[in-house]
Amino acid sequence: MAKQAAAPIERMAGYKPNKGRKIALEIITLILFILFMLPFVIVLFNSMRTNQDIINAPVGFPTDLGQIWRNVAEIWNNPNFNFLSALRDSVIITVLSLAVISIFSSMAAWVLVRNKTKWSTFLFMAYVAAMVIPFQVVMFPLLTWFKSVGDFLGIPMLRSYQGIIFAYLGFGEAMSIFIFHGFIKGVPLELEEAADIDGCSRAGTFFRIVLPLLQPVFVTVLVLNGLWIWNDYLLPLLVLGASGNIRTIPLAVQGFNGAYVKQWHLIMTSTLLAMLPIVILYLFAQKYIVQGMVDGSIK
Amino acid sequence: MKKLIAVVLTLALMMTAASALADIVIVQNKVEITSQMEEFAKLYEEKTGVPVKVITGGGSSDYNTVLKAEMQSGREPDIFVIEGPSSYDLWKDKIADMTGAEWTQYTAAAYMVDGKAVGFPVAVEGYGLAYNKSILDKAGIDPATLTTYDAYEAAFEKLDSMKEELGLDMVVSMVAGTTTGMTWVTGLHNFNVYLTVGNERNDTTYIDQVLEGKVDEERFHQYCQYVALIFKYSDPDMLLNGTQDSQLAAFANGKAAFYHQGNWMDPSLVALNPDFEIAYAPHAFLHEETDGILVNPPSWYVINENGNKDEALAYLNFLATSEEGADYMVNKAAMVPAFTNVTLAPATPLSKSVMDWNAAGKTYDWQQYKLPDGFGMGTLGQIYELFASGAIDVDTFETMMKDAIAGIAK
Amino acid sequence: MTSRTKRKLTEFLFLLPTLIAFLMVIIIPFIFGIYYSFTDWQGTGAVTQTVGFENYKAVFQEPGFLHSFLVTLLFTVLNIITVNVVAFIISLLVTSEIRGRNVYRAGFFVPNLIGGIVLGLVWQFIFSNILPSIGQTLGWPTLSKSLISNKDTVMFTLVTVNTWQYAGYIMLIYVAAIQGISKSVMEAAEVDGARYWTRVTRIQIPLMANAFTISLFLTLTNSFKMYDVNVALTNGGPVSVFMNKPVQASELLALNIYNTAFKYNNMAQGQAKAVIFFIVLTIFSIIQVSWNKSKEVEA
Repeated sequence: MAKQAAAPIERMAGYKPNKGRKIALEIITLILFILFMLPFVIVLFNSMRTNQDIINAPVGFPTDLGQIWRNVAEIWNNPNFNFLSALRDSVIITVLSLAVISIFSSMAAWVLVRNKTKWSTFLFMAYVAAMVIPFQVVMFPLLTWFKSVGDFLGIPMLRSYQGIIFAYLGFGEAMSIFIFHGFIKGVPLELEEAADIDGCSRAGTFFRIVLPLLQPVFVTVLVLNGLWIWNDYLLPLLVLGASGNIRTIPLAVQGFNGAYVKQWHLIMTSTLLAMLPIVILYLFAQKYIVQGMVDGSIK
Repeated sequence: MKKLIAVVLTLALMMTAASALADIVIVQNKVEITSQMEEFAKLYEEKTGVPVKVITGGGSSDYNTVLKAEMQSGREPDIFVIEGPSSYDLWKDKIADMTGAEWTQYTAAAYMVDGKAVGFPVAVEGYGLAYNKSILDKAGIDPATLTTYDAYEAAFEKLDSMKEELGLDMVVSMVAGTTTGMTWVTGLHNFNVYLTVGNERNDTTYIDQVLEGKVDEERFHQYCQYVALIFKYSDPDMLLNGTQDSQLAAFANGKAAFYHQGNWMDPSLVALNPDFEIAYAPHAFLHEETDGILVNPPSWYVINENGNKDEALAYLNFLATSEEGADYMVNKAAMVPAFTNVTLAPATPLSKSVMDWNAAGKTYDWQQYKLPDGFGMGTLGQIYELFASGAIDVDTFETMMKDAIAGIAK
Repeated sequence: MTSRTKRKLTEFLFLLPTLIAFLMVIIIPFIFGIYYSFTDWQGTGAVTQTVGFENYKAVFQEPGFLHSFLVTLLFTVLNIITVNVVAFIISLLVTSEIRGRNVYRAGFFVPNLIGGIVLGLVWQFIFSNILPSIGQTLGWPTLSKSLISNKDTVMFTLVTVNTWQYAGYIMLIYVAAIQGISKSVMEAAEVDGARYWTRVTRIQIPLMANAFTISLFLTLTNSFKMYDVNVALTNGGPVSVFMNKPVQASELLALNIYNTAFKYNNMAQGQAKAVIFFIVLTIFSIIQVSWNKSKEVEA
C-alpha cells in the first residue's frame, strides 16, 4: 500500500478530462481550495489588526501590517500565554514521548513476533483489545492513581515531564506495537539467524539488524503519534493542569483564551503562533507525514 | 541507537531535576485583576525576596476545575480561594486556622468557622443595576425612586420609547449566554436577588427552602416577572452572544441605560472612559419597596495547612496592613477593601457607589454560593438562557425553575 | 548464565517497559474506573461506600445525559456523511489530471495538522463575528446572528468544523485507494466507451470498498470521541429543551462526562457515564471486526 501511495502521478487511474472540462474542474477545485484555506487567511489578516478594528468591522483587510508585530509582542511574554516556554514544553514532551513510544514498542513487538508462545499471543491480544478503551474511562482514576504512585515513589507523576511522557507511552504503545507487529511479521528470519550464528547477542541482533529494517514503519508510528501528542488537549489538561509550570501549546492557547475576555486580535495572533511550528514542519516533511497518515489508517 | 537512548535518558534526568517553584503559589479566581495581582506579587518579591506565583482560574475556565487540578499536582497551592460553605466543606481538611493573625484585627468580614478565623476577605463586592445618570436625567427619571417593580416597569418603558433620542441600543445591558460562559450573571447573581432582597443579612429563609427543593410561591412568581422585565428590555443578541467585554462596552459607550454587573468591572469600565456619572440602583423586584444593593465578601483567601504557612500568612498580613497593599486593593485593583484600617477611598464609580450603599447600611446578603456545585451556573443558567432565547415563556420559565429547584432535594 | 536464559532475560527486558506502562496507565486505572462507577467516590478522598447500580440508574434518568447521547449519535451520523462525501469529491478532483493537483492534495490536508482547540477558537471567531457581519450586510436574518448560539444551527457549526478538519485526512485514504486501482482496468472501461460517471460508480467505487470501510470506521470513532473542538467552539451551549428539561444543545458525550465530574463535582456518576461510553465504543469495534471478517469471506 505504501508503494502505491507514493506512485508517480502518470500511473494513476484518475479522470482524464478534455480541455473545456479540465478548466471547469480546475476552477471548481480552486474554489474549494480557497474555501478550505479561508480560515487561515482570516487568522493571518486579523493578526495584523487591532481589537478595535476587528470589533468595528470583523470583515476587513489589515491597514497596517506592522500591527502583527505589536500583537505578537503583546502576547510573547504575556504570563498567560508565554509562547516560547509553551513551544519548548510541547517540543520536549512530543520528542521524548515519540522516542520512548517508538523504541519500546518496536522492542516489544519484535519479541512478541519472534516468540510464538501462549503468553506472547495473549499479551498481543491484550494490547489490541486495549485499543478500544477510550481515554474518558481511565482519565479520572488515572489522576488519583498517578498521585499515589508519585507520592509512593517520591517522583511526581503529575505536573511533571516524566509523568506525562509515561502516560503517553501507555496510551500510545498499543497501536504502535500493533503497527510494528504487522510489519515485523513480514521481515524474513534469515538475517537474524545469521547474526545469531555470528554470536551476536539478542539485543545486538535487534539494534543492529532489525531496527534499521524498520525505518519505513517508524515513519508511520512517529507521524501518527506525533500529530496526536502535539495537538492533544485533554491529557495535558489533566496531567499537567490548566495553569501549571509545564504547559503545552494547546493548554497555553486555551488558558489564554479563558483568562482574557475576548480580545480577538490577541486570540487570532495566538492561534497563528500555535499553528506555525507544525505547518512549517509539514512544508519540509510533507511526503513523510502524508505517507505515515495513509499507512497508519490502512493498518 | 545507543547514543539516542543515552541522550533521551540524560534529557529525562535533567527534566526531573529542573523546575524550581515559587515560594508562595496562589490560586485565585478574579480574572479581571489578574495583571494587577501579578504586579503586586512582583512588588512583594522585590520587597521581601519571596517569589509569588499567581495562578488564575475563572471567567470561562472554571475556577474549581483549575483548583482541583492544582491540588492533584505535586505542588499544592499555599493560598487559594473559597467562595463559601460548599467550597469550604470540600477543602476543609486543608484549610489552616488564622485566628489571631494581624489582619484579623481590622475586619469584621473574615470567614469564621466555630469561632475561628479561617478566611481572609478578598474585598467586599456589590452589585445592583448600574445606571447612566445623564441618560436617566434626560428621560426625567430619578434613580432614587427605583425601589419597586412598578417603578422599574415604568422607567424601562419610558426609556424604551425614547431610545432614539437618547441614542440607546437597549435599555439594560444584560448577558445570559452559555456559549459565552456568562451564566454566573443570571444563575448566581440574579438568582440571589430572589434569595435575599428585602431580608436581614444572615436571614437564610429562602436559601434554606431552595436547598429543600421548595420556593416561596408568591415571591418566586414576582421574581420571575422581574427577570422577564429585564430580559424584555435587554438586547436579545446581547443576551445570548454578549461577553463580559461587549456587555460593558454597550453601557460604557452610552448605548444602554442600565448595566447588570458588579463593581469588579471597574478597572475595565474606567479604561473605556465613560463621560457620565454612574451609580447603583437596587434590584427592587417586589411590588413593596426594597432599597439596597447586594454586598458581600465574594470570596476569601485561605491558607493551605500543608503549604508554606508562615510565608503565606506574612503575605496576607502585608496585603491587609501595608500602604502598598491598600494602594493595590483600592487604586490598582479597584476593589472595596474589607479592612477598617484602609482609609483610601476608591476613585472608580462602581466601587464608590458600593462603598456609599455600604456606609448607609443599605445592603442585602449574598447566599447564591450556598447552592450545590454547578447548580446556579449550570442548571439554572441553562433555564435563564432558554428564556432569554425566547424558546419558552415566563410561565414555563417559572415551572422549569421550580422543577430544577425541586431536583436539589433528591 | 546459559545463553538460553540470557536470551530469555533480554526478551523479558524488552517487553518490560511497555508492559509496565500498559499496567500503570491503562489496566490499573481501568479496573479502578469500573470499580469507582459502583461507589460514591468523590475524586478527592477514598471511597466511603459502594452503591451498586445507583450511579447507572441516576445517569439513565438524567435528561442531560440522554440528550448528549442522542446528540452525539446525530453528530456522528451527519459527520460520517459530510466528511466522506466531501473527502471523496476532493479525492476525485485531485486525482484527475488538473494542474497543481499535488499542491491541492497537500493543502487540503493542512487543517488536519492543527489541534481542535486552536481550530475551535478560529471558527468561533468566524461563526460569531465574521458570518454575522456578512449576514447583516446582506440582510440575511439567519446569518445575522451567531450560528453557535442558535440551538437549531449549532450542530451545523460542529459538523462544518469537523468536516473541514477531517476531510483532508480521509481524502488521503481515498487518493491512495484510487491510485491503487490498476490503470488497465480503467483504460479498458474507457475503451469500452463507459462514461466517466459510469466508471466511477461501476468500477472505482466497488474497487474502493476497503477504503470506504476504513474511512467509515475512522470517522465513526473520531466523531464519537469528539472533545477538543466541542470545548473550544461551543462549550456545549446553547440551551435547548429535552424531556421538558433544559439541556445543553451541543454537549457531546465526552464533554458531558468531563462536566459531570468537574463542573458538577460528581466523579462517580461521571465515571459511570465513561463506562457506558466504553461499552458503546466496544460494540462499534466488534461490529467493525465482524464486518471486516465477513468481507474477507466474501473476497
